[in-house]
Amino acid sequence: MEQLIQELKEHLIEELNLEEITPADIDAEAPLFGEGLGLDSIDALEIILILEKYYGVKLANSAEAKPVFYSVKTLAEYISANRK
Amino acid sequence: MVNKVEIYLGASSLRTALGNKRETLDAMRRGVCGLKYEEAFGMYAGRSEVQTIEGYSRFESMIIEQLDNITAESSISLQSEDVQLVLSTTKGNIDLLAEDCENIAEATYIYTSAEAIARRYGAARRPIVISNACISGVSAFVVARELLQSGKVKHVIVAGGDALSEFITAGFASFKSISSQPCRPYDAERDGLTLGEAAGAVLLTTDEALAAEGKVRLAGGAISNDANHISGPSRTGDGLYYAIANAMREAGVTKEDVGFVNTHGTATRYNDEMESKAVAWAELTDKPLNSLKGYIGHTLGASGVVEAIISAEELKAGYIFGTKGFTSSDTPHTLTLSNEQQEINGRCCVKSASGFGGCNAAIVLDMEPRTRIIPERTRTARVVAEYELPQSELPFAEFIRGEFKSFGESNMKFYKMSDMSKALYVAVERLLAMENMVYTEPTRRAIVLTNRSASLDADVIHQQILNQHLAEGASPAAFVYTLANVAAGEMCIRHKIQGDNTFFIDNEDRGVEEEYARALIERGDADVVISGWCDYLNENWKVNIKLLKA
Repeated sequence: MEQLIQELKEHLIEELNLEEITPADIDAEAPLFGEGLGLDSIDALEIILILEKYYGVKLANSAEAKPVFYSVKTLAEYISANRK
Repeated sequence: MVNKVEIYLGASSLRTALGNKRETLDAMRRGVCGLKYEEAFGMYAGRSEVQTIEGYSRFESMIIEQLDNITAESSISLQSEDVQLVLSTTKGNIDLLAEDCENIAEATYIYTSAEAIARRYGAARRPIVISNACISGVSAFVVARELLQSGKVKHVIVAGGDALSEFITAGFASFKSISSQPCRPYDAERDGLTLGEAAGAVLLTTDEALAAEGKVRLAGGAISNDANHISGPSRTGDGLYYAIANAMREAGVTKEDVGFVNTHGTATRYNDEMESKAVAWAELTDKPLNSLKGYIGHTLGASGVVEAIISAEELKAGYIFGTKGFTSSDTPHTLTLSNEQQEINGRCCVKSASGFGGCNAAIVLDMEPRTRIIPERTRTARVVAEYELPQSELPFAEFIRGEFKSFGESNMKFYKMSDMSKALYVAVERLLAMENMVYTEPTRRAIVLTNRSASLDADVIHQQILNQHLAEGASPAAFVYTLANVAAGEMCIRHKIQGDNTFFIDNEDRGVEEEYARALIERGDADVVISGWCDYLNENWKVNIKLLKA
């Protein structure tokens, strides 16, 4: 799980253009949206792409997305439970 | 405040998925949907039947068909200095990029395409081109009414159009905003928009003799910005409300006078919610309201023009077409909607649109001669500051990062912006450091810009992603910047600019936007305007902006 979290942070930094941020700056348990990283609805769509592109994981519906997108940790848990 | 100039709608023409104007109106009357599943795009869409004219693209041919009809019907010629062509499009010939996005074909530049169209008619005046995302068509009416009220010309032909291509369909698909069925505006089961392809043109004239039957007038218009988010509609509807309220004030109409409202009604969850809030603010929820998207789809740069022409016909007929696809409502405010025709009481209507970049537009069409609030123009605009972004030996990314860092602040949003937005961001910061705009209300601030490349730099990035044929599709973060006005929208968010935010396209820096900026101040529509040229393409930039004040 630790490795997946680290990898996920790197993908987020790369794909969401989080310049000036290192994986160590991202608290895996802190909320991804709202304050902090300043992510918004477009980033949420990009995260859906990251899940598909790197892990072959598709979100079944948008209602499912909210708890999954809470933090890097919840994302990692969802990926390990659903990846092929 | 006297009624100096009335602007009449003259000859008009359109082409939609349902056919020409007569066919489209007839089909809507019968409740026929023009949206079909299109294998090529993998989604429902409203494609038009287009007869391509030799030497012209699909987009240009669509526009030309409408202009031919108008000039034939009205005896108005673009060869006269009294006639101005105002063209609205979001993407013009963007499909050319799919053939080669390394060497950009000259016709991909929107203004070059507009000039080719104007040349066919021997136009005496250079066309004015507006590319303002999904409000482009309504924006064109707003700009046209200023040209006519100020007396610069006697007649304006407003033409709007967009051709569908994978560039556009894949982009909207990446936003997960495409409906799995023909779109269902305002319906509880709506799940997104359906794209359409259309073109429309209408003569706007100060000569009453050229008015079409019924004498519908363009009585008022206004542009606003949410200053909230570049793709997400406002959560309050305030921006759209300001546009509606200002257009109604100018038209001299009150809510009692309004017969109906024709909204954008794209059928995305958030757009329709936002519109219901704005309509409630304007106290128009009890007025019959419709969206035409369920018949012809969202026709982008054509939508404002085509839907305004149809709205004028509905005003004359005394009833509005049903909202195709609507059965039951779940918007925060309940609107007066029906999938059947609704009778109207009232001689004027409000037509609105909203788009990426947070922009909103509204116009009022009126059959009644009324006293309009036409400005006295006692104010003059003066340039209080000017700034040109310097050139640099450094690559742009390095140069602009250095400039941004010199402000000593962290704004995570900056690094996500397109390069054109970053260039504009830095230039506006520097400009406002000289003279600020904080003393004015957000609704009294405006930003009007022009460039040649539109959003081509971002367009190439989006096209390159498409060329990789990724299974997971395009990138929404890349696609959102494929509209030039989104850079202005970023500035609206950053500096809370909620007034006019029109984006013009021109092949050279002739100051078309400054003329409009000055008019905004002279008219009293804005107190402070950022105005200028803002172009970025492939490491080449020119950003030269001014701050105008009353």
